[in-house]
Amino acid sequence: MARPDDGSRPRLAAGCRWADPNGAERMLLYPEGAIRLQGTGREILERCDGQRTLQQIVTDLQRQYGAAQPARIQQEVGRFLEQMNQKRIVDY
Amino acid sequence: MPSGPLALIAELTHRCPLHCVYCSNPLQMQKAASELTTEEWIRVFGEAGRLGCLHVHLTGGEPLARTDLTELVAGARAAGLYTNLITSGIGISEKRLAALVAAGLEHIQLSFQDSRADVADDIAGTRSHAYKVDMARVIRKHKIAFTMNVVVHRQNLDHLADIISLAEELGADRLEIANVQYYGWALRNREALLPTRGQVEQSERTVEEAEKRLRGRMRIDHVSPDYYARYPKACMGGWGRRLMLIDPAGQALPCHAAGVIPGMKFDNVREKSLVWIWQESSAFQRFRGEAWMPEPCRTCDRRTEDFGGCRCQAFLLTGDAAATDPVCSLAPRHELVENVLTQINVGGGQVEVAPKPEWIYRPNVR
Repeated sequence: MARPDDGSRPRLAAGCRWADPNGAERMLLYPEGAIRLQGTGREILERCDGQRTLQQIVTDLQRQYGAAQPARIQQEVGRFLEQMNQKRIVDY
Repeated sequence: MPSGPLALIAELTHRCPLHCVYCSNPLQMQKAASELTTEEWIRVFGEAGRLGCLHVHLTGGEPLARTDLTELVAGARAAGLYTNLITSGIGISEKRLAALVAAGLEHIQLSFQDSRADVADDIAGTRSHAYKVDMARVIRKHKIAFTMNVVVHRQNLDHLADIISLAEELGADRLEIANVQYYGWALRNREALLPTRGQVEQSERTVEEAEKRLRGRMRIDHVSPDYYARYPKACMGGWGRRLMLIDPAGQALPCHAAGVIPGMKFDNVREKSLVWIWQESSAFQRFRGEAWMPEPCRTCDRRTEDFGGCRCQAFLLTGDAAATDPVCSLAPRHELVENVLTQINVGGGQVEVAPKPEWIYRPNVR
């Protein structure tokens, strides 16, 4: 599957969920594994609710991070979601 | 002191309608009368959650043989654990599955023995393949993670491409292709199960091609046969490092097969807390860390990656549980594995499908 496009509405895949929040880090649980998330990765995945489009997520993060390099944020979000898709953590 | 365990393997029962010739249960199985009660399991899940455990794997035997499985799933979820059911599918109805999902089941691993019903039913010693296919379709109606699980060996490795197609057709999110590991029942049937070198090489190409093709749709996790590897597997992620197994009667083991090692004493969750067992019990300390390691492990750069391999395999093949795992090409007793491989691969390793192997089937327990 290719990268998500601007209109994609990324969501956590079936069988993936957040563990209870725990300080600065948050744990995402999925079949046979878990990842500890902080920083941008966490910010992105917390917005993958099946409602927001990729474009909305990117705009949101550009606003939050001062949008110094809007193109870079867009590219990084796309790349990160593609990686998460390959691990079967995110669908879009 | 190690943190963790990260996952709890809950062998809810050793009862099972299947008789798979490579079953990971011990040769001496626990009887139904000795099984932990509903309340005892739920207490164990609570202790595991507080100990920092993230996942629970509900397994057996066949966990569906427990009539209280829905309550156990609910109890595991209430303890904050990610709840995975490892099952043959025998005993699931549409209604029962819906109840399990409603109770909080998040991931189901359905075992298949082959893509072909005749071989699958021969391996399982029960007619079960067609039923599993039906059950997979029922599972797929629910929004939970679905893994198809296939143990591979000499009798089915040549069907690997078809096995992958079956997983696609059934809509699995994940396919686990695990080569047989040769302990209890599997070691008894090793001669008919161990694949040839040609099969192993071909299967690696098949998996690689499928992974590329299915990227983003289905994840494939592939466990290679350690007999053909250069270095041993990091068995259980290291002894007493990541996993704790509770058997049906409440004994806590560092791995499925640890009971074969002489002199092991397993504490029971009926008498001791999980935290004490993890931190203090002799069973979990016995091969934890590096102090027990012989040469060449002791000074090997790989000791922090593979932890010297599998203790049970070391014992079963060499008679010494503290020996370097003989699958390692550096092991002093590596010839034990080499000799078996030579026998299997003699004359280019003709795969004998007929005559039918004389299997030693795992019996059921009551």
